[in-house]
Amino acid sequence: MQWTADTVQTEVVQLLEPFNPKGIELTPETDLSADLYMDSVAAMNLVMEIEDRFEIDIPISLLPDVNSLQDLVDVVLAQLSKD
Amino acid sequence: MPGVTASTNTSLPFVVSDFATLAEGLDYAARGETGCNFFGRKGELRQSLTYREIRDLAVTMAQRFDKAGLKRGTRVAIVAETSPDFLVFFFACQYAGMIPVPLPLTIHLGGHDAYVTRLRSMIVKAGAEVAVGPAEMLHYLKEAAGSLKMIGTPEDFYALPFEGGALRPFTSDEACYIQYSSGSTSVPRGVLVSQQAITSNARGIGRHGLDLRQGDRSTSWLPLYHDMGLVGFCLTPMLSQITIDYLATKNFALRPLTWLKLISEHGSTISFSPTFGYELCVRRGLNGSAKTIDLSRWRVAGIGGEMVRAEILDRFVGTFGVTGFSAKAFLPSYGLAESTLAVTFTPLDQGVEVDRVDQEHFAQTGSVVSVKRNGIGSSRAARPFVICGVPLPDHEVEIRSELNVALPDHHIGRVVVRGPSVMDGYFNDPVATSAVFTDDGWLDTGDLGYMTDGRLVVTGRRKDLVILNGLNIWPQDVEWAVEALEDVRASDVACFSVIEPGEGERMIVVLQCRLHDVAARESLRKKVVATVRKTCGADCQVVLVPPKTLKFTSSGKLSRSAVREDYIAGEIFDLNLAVGQSGPARAAFSEQRK
Repeated sequence: MQWTADTVQTEVVQLLEPFNPKGIELTPETDLSADLYMDSVAAMNLVMEIEDRFEIDIPISLLPDVNSLQDLVDVVLAQLSKD
Repeated sequence: MPGVTASTNTSLPFVVSDFATLAEGLDYAARGETGCNFFGRKGELRQSLTYREIRDLAVTMAQRFDKAGLKRGTRVAIVAETSPDFLVFFFACQYAGMIPVPLPLTIHLGGHDAYVTRLRSMIVKAGAEVAVGPAEMLHYLKEAAGSLKMIGTPEDFYALPFEGGALRPFTSDEACYIQYSSGSTSVPRGVLVSQQAITSNARGIGRHGLDLRQGDRSTSWLPLYHDMGLVGFCLTPMLSQITIDYLATKNFALRPLTWLKLISEHGSTISFSPTFGYELCVRRGLNGSAKTIDLSRWRVAGIGGEMVRAEILDRFVGTFGVTGFSAKAFLPSYGLAESTLAVTFTPLDQGVEVDRVDQEHFAQTGSVVSVKRNGIGSSRAARPFVICGVPLPDHEVEIRSELNVALPDHHIGRVVVRGPSVMDGYFNDPVATSAVFTDDGWLDTGDLGYMTDGRLVVTGRRKDLVILNGLNIWPQDVEWAVEALEDVRASDVACFSVIEPGEGERMIVVLQCRLHDVAARESLRKKVVATVRKTCGADCQVVLVPPKTLKFTSSGKLSRSAVREDYIAGEIFDLNLAVGQSGPARAAFSEQRK
């Protein structure tokens, strides 16, 4: 499958839904820790979902710079372009 | 696709830790075919290097250091990813007479600033002049370090010339590396590990603790910036020419069963984990892998790094016994970075042995009375403690009172250690160093415990002990009980006490809460209070806080003292109070403020 910025974003939003029990609206600016209360356990589970869905490896060294949903999409796009 | 390195050298005689320096040990291991293998997230082989290849790369890198004008004694900060590059740079320092300083990784989403602060304090404290890390982490290093003599990726260093560079390896009376250990994130303490300390400890572990033998093979997901990962599953195996199969810590955390699959597939005989690693596996369960996983060759399943919890290990056997795993493989141990790594081991092939002590006597007197399963008093509550074994040869453990008087068996006191593995001190920190040594030169571990027939039992951390109305309460007991509740996760709870003028000590339980509904939070609070009361018979004040409030040490352990300081400083307050809720939370808050 050929991923585009749009399809990656749509997919990431879907993968985030289980981490969004309050059902707040997910926008590119949504802050994963502040708005979704994601801690490191949740973050690791999300990383696993994303790695399996996109068949990529996400180095944990990238996580400290991931604040928003858009940051996450950018990481996925960057890792997809590496493979 | 290359194969993994062999478990056994065909012609090189097997030598267990009989070397005076790491460089000498690597020179020897490089004459065989064993080495290190690095596996990917699904357990597939990514890279494989024999000790010969690691040594060759390390030696030329040491020549580059010399050619670049780096002096002996220079500290080199190395981001400790589980990668061949980390090993190459760590050992290159050994051949160049330079001191490697492994730096940690972090997994916190959006934790950029906190991570950079932590790296900076470590780099500054070590006085590092060189820093190396993978490309995607270079910006953290640069931001943390400012300007150093050299800072770059491994590739940057590989591009430097090496021809004509001299080797100037450490001698047996010199330093080896700096290990950041306990101590809070803001004030890191770096143990200066000497060649004597590391080779002594590796000798004790290899010959006494594990009784290493030809054909042994090790597997590890432990981070290499932690003493158990670095000493236990990098330096000690190397010093005995043992092959190591590595899984990055992240990949273990995501898919714990990959650890067991690697052990099974490659016939590993030795692997260690803190209790929580076994717990993660139990939570995942076998998932139909029973037929493909064979753990029958795993002869040493070590446990260390935090208090050993027997009930979790029992559950591991319950879940994974069908794979051929033997409960006798469990090897409880005790150690700390200030003593390089290991201090005590239980005997091999014995499994976990528990001392069941009378709960009430223990809480009230500071001494312990064992409870026989069927003897008199069996109706009284018993508290199980795992026995951590006997000290390594040439090492001594004693129990001391607060006045530094040696205590007899079954009396709880400060655990102190003496022997060749004990550090000379923290790097560049005489104040912190003198604080952890007794007047007569023993290392005060900061742990509490007692001896029974020459065997050590650790009961907790001294400074974290909560004493309410004369009752000794171990905060981890409270935390474990609360963590077992629905809606609460491991590492979500901190228990400590505060002393109120005129009121005595009060117990506080800070709980990271993910519930959004105010009423649901109050219901959780009630459950926590009830659980704590059931656990230790005392009342506590529950403070519900947002995730990421609790603080952890650089080795990932909960820092109760840091959380306590935040609480006293008023930086931690209740979630329901923040939304203007009246009721119990408000009442509790006003009470704590008076």
